[in-house]
Amino acid sequence: MKDLREHTRELLEKGEIAAVIGYRQVSEMRTKPVIVTDPADAEHLVFNEYCLNNLAVYLTKARIKALCRTKDKTLKLAITAKPCDVHSIVALIQENQIHRKDIHIISFNCHGVVKDFGCEFNGDNLASKCITCETHKPLYFDKIFGEEKETPKASDQALARIQELESMTHKERFEFFKGEFDRCIKCYACRAVCPLCYCQRCITDKAIPRWIESSSHQRGNFSWNIVRAFHLSARCTGCGECERACPADIPLTLLNRRMAIEAKRSFSYVSGRSLETPTLVGSFNEKDSDELFM
Amino acid sequence: MMEEKIISRDDLLKICKDVIEKGHTLLSPGIAEYNVVKDVSQIKLDASALPTKTSYKSYVFPKAEPVLYYKRSKSDVQLIDVNVDGKNIIILGAKPCDTNSLNIMKHLFNWDYSDEFFNLREKHFITIGLMCSHYDEYCFCTSIGLSPVSEKGSDIFLIPLDKNNFALRIVTEKGKEFIEPYSEFLNTVDETLSRQVTENVKQPEVAFDCKEVHEWLGSNFENPKWEGIGNICLSCAQCAFVCPVCHCFDIVDEDYSYTEGRRMKNWDGCQFGNFTLHASGHNPRDIQSKRYRQRVNHKFRYYVDKFGEIFCTGCGRCSRGCPVSIDIKEIVSNCKD
Repeated sequence: MKDLREHTRELLEKGEIAAVIGYRQVSEMRTKPVIVTDPADAEHLVFNEYCLNNLAVYLTKARIKALCRTKDKTLKLAITAKPCDVHSIVALIQENQIHRKDIHIISFNCHGVVKDFGCEFNGDNLASKCITCETHKPLYFDKIFGEEKETPKASDQALARIQELESMTHKERFEFFKGEFDRCIKCYACRAVCPLCYCQRCITDKAIPRWIESSSHQRGNFSWNIVRAFHLSARCTGCGECERACPADIPLTLLNRRMAIEAKRSFSYVSGRSLETPTLVGSFNEKDSDELFM
Repeated sequence: MMEEKIISRDDLLKICKDVIEKGHTLLSPGIAEYNVVKDVSQIKLDASALPTKTSYKSYVFPKAEPVLYYKRSKSDVQLIDVNVDGKNIIILGAKPCDTNSLNIMKHLFNWDYSDEFFNLREKHFITIGLMCSHYDEYCFCTSIGLSPVSEKGSDIFLIPLDKNNFALRIVTEKGKEFIEPYSEFLNTVDETLSRQVTENVKQPEVAFDCKEVHEWLGSNFENPKWEGIGNICLSCAQCAFVCPVCHCFDIVDEDYSYTEGRRMKNWDGCQFGNFTLHASGHNPRDIQSKRYRQRVNHKFRYYVDKFGEIFCTGCGRCSRGCPVSIDIKEIVSNCKD
């Protein structure tokens, strides 16, 4: 923690960065995002098992980008990111939303985070994404802290659930999602926390023509959640923020993960893993499989 | 009105069973939401449970409801009224921070226009509150003038005396009417028993003074604090939609075809960027800090000025569920710092 604070204070003092997007402890078992611009505030920064948020969501915000613009040059933005959050940063760079040179990535060898705020971390109650995590060391970083350590592996319940859903009939599967989407209240917290939902104007906010009904009835909820899953396919990096933020406890990961599995199976593509690879939807190869055309 | 009786848990469940059999809707808190009870074994009546993630406002103010249907022809538009379902809804085990919610919302729905949809449902709503024996870091009912033993908004109020018995306080005429047919289950009780429980209940400390907050808000419209919060807030409507009193809605027309459609009244949230977006493209609350400022001002200042009531119940849902951990209690408690 001391290293993190010293490192960021130094960068801020030297004027190399405009701000640090980091975590601040708000209670024993909860942290919150914080934007640090004053070197003196670097002492509030923490990194621990309660750093659940994926801070990459702030990188595309105009108000955060504005902090970087000074009279004569553009300063860098520092971000503290778990290895899985780095995937989101990579995806944003791949999609030309930010430039690698503008971001100073401070990452950590990650041992996993707790499943929810307010749960006391005991080594076993990890977030489900951590149980199957294969990236404990970040793929890209400018500064790294912490020691390498694996997270304890447990059974992949989300995958088991996806397989179970696949074995259902179309009708059964529809009924399952109908039950889940019924609870959707269209607060769009899923959209708000998603680093890759950066559209200036979301399709659901368009009224003329209205593609997605704003009513949170069955048809409106299906169109929103399915369109979102399609829009994130081969883009979602699996950070699980949407599911964590959902006040209605809708298992959104099931949809996004299923699409990620498809991208890997059909195109050997995993989102947010390489800066050298073009995005799947942004590239075309004559040899690409066409079996997904409807 | 106040009358106090004792009722056993089993007898209370017998009443619930009868209520369901009569075809009324019975609601009871689960973990995420208030559920419609199909089987009385679902009912927990746990005074130590935290508030559910979402409130029960959707049963009086649905998240999406048709207000009229229309048919169009070349020369005419035909409007077809919606019949509101005036079915009895009985809510059992509502938290004291939830029970007062309809009283607070009532002001808005009867202000410049009397909302028949809300009013009819509210008229048929019977609230059986349950004392609350547990709070967490986000609870602040005591700061806005309520408490874990507040009967405000309840028609009947329950206080657990031991594992199997509740003191049952009949608070309103509506509550009396509801319980009368079941008087066989009610026995007389020594009222000091329930008083002992309520006097010893754990209460969250008072975190702020509403009058001071009101005053501070009045003179700090341009305070740089708002910008700091606006930088973190991600503009979702989780806070507004889980709130037991937030009541903003949007009216939209949904066409089924060229000739038919319906007009919907849907929940809307003041943190959305397009909430105040004008047709011209101008947006008076164009940045997040202005939107968050509006939220706090509406809760602790505008509503108080307009209707004389704080637009909050202190349940802490908005903070507990905020994806970026923005805590309204912390913000108003520390506003002067």
